[in-house]
Amino acid sequence: MSVAKTNKQLRASVAWLGLLFFSLPGLADQVLIANASVGVDGLSLNTTRLLFSMQLPQWPDGTAVRVFVLPDDHPGHRAFSKDLLRLYPRQLRRVWDRQLYSGTGQAPQTVADAAAMLEAVAQTPGAIGYLSREMIDETVSELPLQR
Amino acid sequence: MRRLVNSRCSAERPARRLASRGVAILLFMLWAQTSAGEGWNDDLQIHGFLTQGFVHTTDNRFFGGSDDGSFDFTELGVNLSYRAAPSVLLSGQLLSRRAGDMYDGSPDVDFALVDWNFSNTPGSSLGVVAGRIKNSLGLYNDTRDVAFTRPGVFVPQQIYFDSVRNLLLSADGLQLYARRSTDAGNWAFNLGAGTNPVDKNVEYAYLGRDYGGDLDSSGVSWIARAEFETHDGAWRLAFSAAKAKLDFSAAASDPIGSGNIDFLYWIASLQYNAERWSLTAEYMEEPVDFDDFGPLYDERDSTVQGYYLQGSYLFRHDLEFVMRYSEGFGDKHDRGGRKQSGQTFGIAPPHTFYQKDVILGIRWDVTPRFMLRAEHQWARGTWTLSNRENPLPAERVKDWNMFSLLGSYRF
Repeated sequence: MSVAKTNKQLRASVAWLGLLFFSLPGLADQVLIANASVGVDGLSLNTTRLLFSMQLPQWPDGTAVRVFVLPDDHPGHRAFSKDLLRLYPRQLRRVWDRQLYSGTGQAPQTVADAAAMLEAVAQTPGAIGYLSREMIDETVSELPLQR
Repeated sequence: MRRLVNSRCSAERPARRLASRGVAILLFMLWAQTSAGEGWNDDLQIHGFLTQGFVHTTDNRFFGGSDDGSFDFTELGVNLSYRAAPSVLLSGQLLSRRAGDMYDGSPDVDFALVDWNFSNTPGSSLGVVAGRIKNSLGLYNDTRDVAFTRPGVFVPQQIYFDSVRNLLLSADGLQLYARRSTDAGNWAFNLGAGTNPVDKNVEYAYLGRDYGGDLDSSGVSWIARAEFETHDGAWRLAFSAAKAKLDFSAAASDPIGSGNIDFLYWIASLQYNAERWSLTAEYMEEPVDFDDFGPLYDERDSTVQGYYLQGSYLFRHDLEFVMRYSEGFGDKHDRGGRKQSGQTFGIAPPHTFYQKDVILGIRWDVTPRFMLRAEHQWARGTWTLSNRENPLPAERVKDWNMFSLLGSYRF
């Protein structure tokens, strides 16, 4: 086997490894999901930020908004806040804490993992949350972000 | 504004005590409801925190006998909120705070309120709050007792001073609030009116001792705040102010006459947040005006001044490095403290009227619910020290250092 061929194989393996790394579930591709009862087709970035900052307590039809999030140090939460909301997780935490501990708002409900997120959003009327795309099934509706 | 000696008593007004008890009962009933009932758990939330600190100073006393090492700093809070309707929120928090000789840990109602957010769209929001409301002053006053939200082991003392803490902490009254979202970011406005609790701490801080007469808040005090934040949370700007008046009715035995004290307290705040670092600057002034007391006090008009610049750097997602420089003065026209020292006939040395310090610290978020902090402070001047904990001004040491540790858990 020639040296050149080994190098070529090596390069191919590195490329495959890289592809595998970037497609790890839960890291890159978080999308907004909502309970089937939520009568909204899509959300703007600013409205989404207001919802996850717990500053919009009801949907346009008057239903209460229920916000679900993964733990602060969960990779899915970090990807969601940075890539989708374009906020750092600690900025969200700061807003929640300030409202919670001054009595002017509530904290979102924290769920342990992606499976719990899917279940909570599917079963709670008015719920909004997020998941990596491949975790989503027909029990929840996906909300496209209108940029 | 702090001058001479503080005392140990902290008499609460009966009305405040009654309110505390009423809210405690209400909170208990809510608690009992949740354990029994079903279905409204989604709308009811219980949260809380427990914080323990350790302070060691080379000289002077800060939060207990810190010159020998002190653990006399404990904060415990339990907080209930209930969303009665999408636009109506009821919430309350009980707080027990032990801080050296200043606070003994007896529980108090931190806030207890009804918030009616009667209009809310993505573009704007309007609402009204009634009850005991935390005063939104600067970036940190409304959650100053929650370690997770503080910029250090303690709130910056030159602005959020502890000696008249209760006067600025909360108000019993009404507040209007509004949010307006623009392309550039969100504006938030608050305007509140209410009565501020006055305890013996306040009398000691403003009058220097406990006279036979009574010092009480006079009429309504006003709190206002405007804040702007860009949508990405990178920039935050705020301006907040409180205006209040205190009335002193002298007893026959007092060497001073009845009089009143007017003060305005305002803070300008600026913060920039990047992914790994942030910069925060706040500037405070408090013009204090003494009237009708007679020559001993009417000369004491002053403008208290304080400011700091803080930088923080996140070198791992759970590890933050903090640096802060602060200065504070009893009177911005007498930053060296000589004139104010003269007014006490030299009993209080000039360094008790100013303080400049540097803080280096580290915060480690061990888990999202448990946090540790360590800090070292180098100080010149003793202005932020409590008179109650350091009753003899002449014994204060001008140059001193402080090391502090803090652990905090929340749920």
